[in-house]
Amino acid sequence: MKSKIKDISVYFPSNKLDNNSLYNEFPNFEPDKIENKIGIRNRYIVSEDETALDLAINASNNVLENFDRNKIDFLILCTQSPEYYLPTTACVLQDKLGLSTSTGAFDFNLGCSGYIYGLALSKSLISSGIAENILLVMSETYSKHINAKDFANRSIFGDGAAATIIEKSDEEHIFEFVLGTDGKGMNNLIIPNGGMRKRYEQNAEIKSDESGNERTENDLYMNGPEIFNFTIKSIPALVKNTLEKNNVKFEDVDYFIFHQANKYILDYLRKKIKIPEEKFYSNMLETGNTVSATIPIALKDCMDNEIIKVGDRVMLCGFGVGYSWGATIIKI
Amino acid sequence: MRKSDFLKKMHDSLEISSVENLTEETILKQLGEYNSMFLLTIIAFVDENFEMQISTEQLLSVTTIRSLMDLIGYEKFED
Repeated sequence: MKSKIKDISVYFPSNKLDNNSLYNEFPNFEPDKIENKIGIRNRYIVSEDETALDLAINASNNVLENFDRNKIDFLILCTQSPEYYLPTTACVLQDKLGLSTSTGAFDFNLGCSGYIYGLALSKSLISSGIAENILLVMSETYSKHINAKDFANRSIFGDGAAATIIEKSDEEHIFEFVLGTDGKGMNNLIIPNGGMRKRYEQNAEIKSDESGNERTENDLYMNGPEIFNFTIKSIPALVKNTLEKNNVKFEDVDYFIFHQANKYILDYLRKKIKIPEEKFYSNMLETGNTVSATIPIALKDCMDNEIIKVGDRVMLCGFGVGYSWGATIIKI
Repeated sequence: MRKSDFLKKMHDSLEISSVENLTEETILKQLGEYNSMFLLTIIAFVDENFEMQISTEQLLSVTTIRSLMDLIGYEKFED
């Protein structure tokens, strides 16, 4: 059985954190410089009582406006901000959406590579005959993991959700995948405390980095330069391997959508891989880095604004926390 | 690459405005631009111009620009 992406909807919380607001808190960092360097002007941030589940519910209801929810037979949620350790947030989501109790559902924990893995899982479920209409949801609230005095990470990450319907199809639209993992990068994007290895610490020590960003081991830590090293080493090969696996020439890919990490990294990768500017998506201006949601948000933006059209071959490429990476080619 | 060209290119590529010129004695950590984004741009600059990767650990041990040039390989630079 073959599969295709039927529809995508997104949802953002209503609070906006713009660069001027950040400048009010951190006067050493000028709003224009933030925007010019990393390509981010605004990010949406959940309120205290809003969670990734809430964003997932809204994104899902948006995409189900034009699709009979009784036809959904599988629900997959990708988040690193679950509602609880247990039960599985996808189980709670099934109930909140009023999906059939015959629906299979589970969460998986990935970040920036999440959408690629989600598509791979969906394709597998459909091709094996286990499911026919899948609701795949990316929902993330990194803002809840970032220390209020960590300017660097607060300037980059935004909250958001994207819900995708993947259905069985007569013609294949989701092609071959290249996936990869390197756990040696585990410490370069991590929340050290709060899991089973090191529990949440009530009076955790506040540490400052060389730029004055503050965090404790209860908070998210990202080694930006090392992540950058990882991407420039891994992503050109990922693109090449994905082309080979799909038996597609570089020039026959109509468009490239990479995980929208930040403008600087994307510009550098684009030039290194020699992707023409007109074939490369780079836009995180109003949303920031929404982790696993960046690729479906970008896809929806491209389809709504006719940047890509029916029949186009688009390479999707996700990479980041883990380290985890993956890419595929889809036909719109 | 000539040393003077390297210093000028580095000054321009890294968009340094806190000092007018870079010298081999310039201490990177004392530049106003020094933060994790700045380290990223140094990694990009070295990768683009010398096709080599520097780890964050190596970069954090760099003091002067001369020590960065040593990391790259001082013999690669002409007078």
